[in-house]
Amino acid sequence: MTKRPRRFPESLLALLGIIVLAIAVSPVASDGGRIFLQPGNLTDILRQISIIGIISLGMTFVILTAGIDLSVGSILALATVVVSMGIVRQGHGIAVSILLALGASAAVGVLNGVITATLRMQPFVVTLATMIGVRGLAKWLSSNENIDIGFGHDLAATFAASFSRKAVIIGTYVALAGSFWVLLTRTVFGRYVRAVGDNPKAAEYAGLPIRATKIWVYGLSGLLSGIAGVLYTAENHQGNPNAGVAYELDAIAAVVIGGTRLSGGKGSISGTVIGALFMGILTNLLRLNNVDSNVEMMIKAILIVLAVAAQRERKSK
Amino acid sequence: MAFGEVHALIGENGAGKSTLARILSGISQPDSGSISLDGSLVRIRSFQEAQRLGISIIHQELDLFPSLTIAENLAIGNLHYSGGRAELDRVGLDCPTSLTVDSLSIGQQQLLAIARALSMKARILLMDEPTSSLADDSVERLFALIADLKAQGAAIVYVSHKMDEIFRIADQITVLRDGQTVATLDATATTPAEIVRLMVGRDLDLTARPHRTPSSDPVLTVDNLRTRKLSGVSFELRRGEVLGIAGLVGAGRSALGAALAGLDPILGGTVRGGRVALLPEDRGAQGLMPNLSVLENGTLAVLGRVQKFGFVRDAEERRLFDPVASRLALKCASTGAPVSTLSGGNQQKVLFTRSLLRDPNVLFLDDPARGIDVAAKQDIYRAIDEFAAAGKGVILVSSELPELLRCSDRILVLAAGRQTALLDAATATPESIMAAATRL
Repeated sequence: MTKRPRRFPESLLALLGIIVLAIAVSPVASDGGRIFLQPGNLTDILRQISIIGIISLGMTFVILTAGIDLSVGSILALATVVVSMGIVRQGHGIAVSILLALGASAAVGVLNGVITATLRMQPFVVTLATMIGVRGLAKWLSSNENIDIGFGHDLAATFAASFSRKAVIIGTYVALAGSFWVLLTRTVFGRYVRAVGDNPKAAEYAGLPIRATKIWVYGLSGLLSGIAGVLYTAENHQGNPNAGVAYELDAIAAVVIGGTRLSGGKGSISGTVIGALFMGILTNLLRLNNVDSNVEMMIKAILIVLAVAAQRERKSK
Repeated sequence: MAFGEVHALIGENGAGKSTLARILSGISQPDSGSISLDGSLVRIRSFQEAQRLGISIIHQELDLFPSLTIAENLAIGNLHYSGGRAELDRVGLDCPTSLTVDSLSIGQQQLLAIARALSMKARILLMDEPTSSLADDSVERLFALIADLKAQGAAIVYVSHKMDEIFRIADQITVLRDGQTVATLDATATTPAEIVRLMVGRDLDLTARPHRTPSSDPVLTVDNLRTRKLSGVSFELRRGEVLGIAGLVGAGRSALGAALAGLDPILGGTVRGGRVALLPEDRGAQGLMPNLSVLENGTLAVLGRVQKFGFVRDAEERRLFDPVASRLALKCASTGAPVSTLSGGNQQKVLFTRSLLRDPNVLFLDDPARGIDVAAKQDIYRAIDEFAAAGKGVILVSSELPELLRCSDRILVLAAGRQTALLDAATATPESIMAAATRL
């Protein structure tokens, strides 16, 4: 009487479905193979989902505590500005600049957590405020200009070249996903995260460290957005105060497609990775078939609803 | 059943009482069989249809809207509500109708739910454990009300675990077990012992008091305690003692638990000694994490003891949980299943396990046997006795006086946040307790 009876997750079915569809409708290359299945295309998909994928790991934890983090896109923009300014304008080394960016990002996250946990304000409101404020901060720091990183042989170019490689970006995502999966399923902290979201009142009665848990969760979400921001800077060769707009929505979409409930207490990292893959493959399949980008959004909207509808809980009675 | 009659339904949790209530109120549909009313077959497909047929249900899980006011709750979905507070007065709920439901105590909410059912002009009223969170004075009023309705020709289905209530008010008693009718008996021609036997299939002794000899050594000393809701509470809890707490709804029984467990600030007086673990009053709202597994719920408060570098050690966790759970006779198909899949009695045992694992020397049990079946109650009583026998202290809150008299050594009575009596349970009577509880 030990193991939970295993159920085949519906989100995995949705993912398999979209893969089969992508193979079926994929254009054929000159050598007769399907373009979708070419290794270059598959790794492109992974690279493209990595930024949102990393953010959605933190978002999963936040949503599990019955919270939400709307500030992730703004934090990403702040990180791109801090890291690029650090290298290009301030002349800091690569490591120092990255640490500054991650520190600033985590600090915003911790601020979200402290306000949410101690003032007992709704996380939607708190992170809406930081979403606006931090976007302003990023624009103010950079005078609302992109900070370009060239392709030459200076330090900035070295940074961009090394951190924009597919292996680094995908590797970072995979390593973080693994770490957060372990964090959620194997650790005391992970259990507190699920417990606090499942029944906050009962968590109080059980004497759980609710404040600390929330502060950590939002801090981690900020830190992950910062990591995503550093990778974004390298990949796009610029610090961009207007980067990451609406990323919070893509991250939330990945989380809910992965079966995590917005009301908290129930969800998984594996589900969120599946959700990110689902969105990535869907985007790829539409672009390979030259679907108009406006139509692409409409199709995505329908498939998000279908994917979540397929896994809603069946009423027991 | 006939109009002008009170028909009691009794059975252990999971016997099918609430399912029957859901079918009669149109929430669920029967797989087979039929319901007839006034000699003709009816099908109840919706709540409105049930209302038109004159059927009204007071559910155990109160179906009120917490952010709406009392008046709005009375009016919503109600074909007959015409304003006014006649029904509120009838049940004895004397708050302004502009208050929102979440500002009411559970007991007051229960009264409101009854008023709401009354205002629907029901001919057939089904009450699912209506007294589970009512204090004795409200229960008396409810019984008077039921007698009243019965005299007016209404038919009342009364679902309860409480034997004394059933024998006071029921004309007919139907015993359910595992979803089937075991027997329908005339209340005057049967005995509580027979009903219990029919419910569980074996004899249970609910009345035997355990023989305990508390030492004079105190494990917890409370002197002139004052909080937002309490004042002037003083007692000494001795090793091996069970101290009962009696009082009407809102008298401060749960507030005492919150203060002793550190959930509510202590404003004055002293509390000495005691590592207090609290088993909260409301299992669902204050206790369980429904999506977490049975095991996870049990060990939640003591993860610090089974961790290494922040990682939960599964074997250690199980070593901690299993012996306590099996001592409580916790029954579940898998400890990995969500706790919400268990019956009420077993859920309570999971929470009891959580409290015991904190290794307290004082257990504050806030109505631990509320709404659970007879067999689970016995297991809880046995656990209380064992805990006291180990030289620790138990504070037991209960709305059921027989339960307090059965389990306690002394009984502390609260009224409106003040301590009005501290009685010896061996000589206390329901009358002496009620007298103190109403002494304001």
